[in-house]
Amino acid sequence: MKLNRRAIIGGITAGTLAFGLAACGGGGSDEEGGSGDLASGEINASGASFPDAFYAAAIEAYAEVNPDLMVSYNSTGSGTGKSEFGEGLNDFAGTDSLVGDDDGVEAGSFQYIPTVAAPITISYNLPGVDALQLPQDVLAGIFVGAITTWNDAAIAEANPDATLPDTAITLAVRSDGSGTTTNFSKYLEASAPDVWTLGSGDTIEWPGNAVAGEKNTGVAQVIQDTEGAIGYVDLADALEVGLVTASIENADGAFVAPTLEGATAALDGAQVEADLSYNPLNAAGAEAYPITAPTYILIRTEYEDANVAAGVKEFVNYLLTDGQALAAENDYAALPTSLQEQALEALNSTIAD
Amino acid sequence: MTSLNTAPDLTGRNLSKRRAFANRTATILIGLCVLIAALPLVLVAWEVVTRGGSALSLGFLTEEIPRNYRTEGPGMGPAILGTLAITGMAALIAIPIGVLGAVYLNEYGKNRPLARFIRTMADVMTGVPSIVMGLFIYVAYVLVIGEKVGFGGSLALACLMLPIVIRSAEEMLRLVPDELRQASAGLGARKWRTTMSVVLPSASSGITSGALLAVARAAGETAPIIVTVGLTYIYKPDLFYGENTTLAAQIYRNATQPFAASQERAWGAALTLIAIVFLFTVVSRIIASRFAIDKR
Repeated sequence: MKLNRRAIIGGITAGTLAFGLAACGGGGSDEEGGSGDLASGEINASGASFPDAFYAAAIEAYAEVNPDLMVSYNSTGSGTGKSEFGEGLNDFAGTDSLVGDDDGVEAGSFQYIPTVAAPITISYNLPGVDALQLPQDVLAGIFVGAITTWNDAAIAEANPDATLPDTAITLAVRSDGSGTTTNFSKYLEASAPDVWTLGSGDTIEWPGNAVAGEKNTGVAQVIQDTEGAIGYVDLADALEVGLVTASIENADGAFVAPTLEGATAALDGAQVEADLSYNPLNAAGAEAYPITAPTYILIRTEYEDANVAAGVKEFVNYLLTDGQALAAENDYAALPTSLQEQALEALNSTIAD
Repeated sequence: MTSLNTAPDLTGRNLSKRRAFANRTATILIGLCVLIAALPLVLVAWEVVTRGGSALSLGFLTEEIPRNYRTEGPGMGPAILGTLAITGMAALIAIPIGVLGAVYLNEYGKNRPLARFIRTMADVMTGVPSIVMGLFIYVAYVLVIGEKVGFGGSLALACLMLPIVIRSAEEMLRLVPDELRQASAGLGARKWRTTMSVVLPSASSGITSGALLAVARAAGETAPIIVTVGLTYIYKPDLFYGENTTLAAQIYRNATQPFAASQERAWGAALTLIAIVFLFTVVSRIIASRFAIDKR
């Protein structure tokens, strides 16, 4: 009963709006309906903040393609996005991590759609040192708290040309639970299992020399303000703030700087599972940047409202096709063609026309 | 010998040196404390005005919110409408209930166990962090109807405002002299009549300013709004349909991005919000002085 009334009120409001828009536009072509079959209405999404800047850009560009479908993406964090997906509060969710048993999402009720990926940079603030190279064990040693000064023998050995000061190392980390922390700690776990002992997850018990900042922006701020700081920040924030980034040793032993090409190479080298989840962390390939984080959209296998289903399909389809062109200019790596095709196939088979 | 006819010398000119010194030191210290207390307020106002002033324009107040953080240019109209509509609805819910509750507490309940219990609970509720109210409404309303809507935010803000309104209104009712009530009763008015036409009008200025201050406080809440109303970029006048947004939520959303364009919008939104709260406060002051008892 309640639901019906809401649907009616919603219908009336949407109808009025649509009518108003049509009247304003005056073109009248909208009323034919047969030409483009574009969906209309409202799609609400929430989830990971990592791809937020890309989705925001895509949503704005999409509004030009189809102004009748309003898409909103609320960057609440992966965890909240998944639990809201489970509660039916959003129409699709963004997440950096895979769905776990205690996320409140029923198995079989969703499909992963990979959208973009991006390198997580290791940014640092050390005047006079601008091309730091960090082997995997050294990186883990720094973040586990074993290496506490910049002129530590382990760092010096990997950077024979740099003059390293005896400045103390300050770790810049996330204060809030974050998919970026999950991916970074997973990477450390995979690449240096002997050194990294702090486990993985969206929050970590960091050693005593850590300073926490809120979101990527906060961490970038800590690095910028603190001499001797090193932290993990997404590429967009690091570039925007102008941080210096380190080259990281990848699985093939090469030192790779965080670039979009490096991230795409990591996607190429990653093994894609049947459910379209994949792990580009520490991926094989000489060019691959090892700390490349994937991000997914969760779509429902069944939508109650056909209109919403059509809207989600249309927007996600846009993200995977024309939207991919927006990735690079927003500092995200587009999907390799093969993965993009698999994602489109999964989208089409999950939401039938 | 001093004569009783001359007024005592209060200027402090004839104080002993030691007392004059103590007096001057204390005056300077107190003056310094006032300056120190005012300094953060002045700095906050200065920072917001200088940073947000450049973003502010007519377009900023009326246009839709840009969907992309990097897009430069104005637009906070939907958030301004959302702030006014959501807090307005919260006030519509909380103020009548709160005032009637205060009437019960002061006129009927007095020191009965129930009244004492309500009073204690209201005091406890004022100290509850706003996010707790947000989560309560999230569980009790948003999850039940299965949708984030503006009205959920109104409910959360109403929960926040209610204890403040109850306690401030009760204090105001307590200030109404008992003689007024007795005079009214002496003229044959019943208790409800006395309350309606004597007690409440006498306390109206205090109740109004207390209520408006509660509204002003609620208008700046971020956490309960984020969990209950979601996000939108377009005008949503209907609080019962679709996700909504407010200025406070937009400040949080835009300020946490590294892009200059969105940070400028956040400062502009902060300035707008301060202006709205300032307006509420001025209105409450005007109402308070216009209807004050001693001036009638």
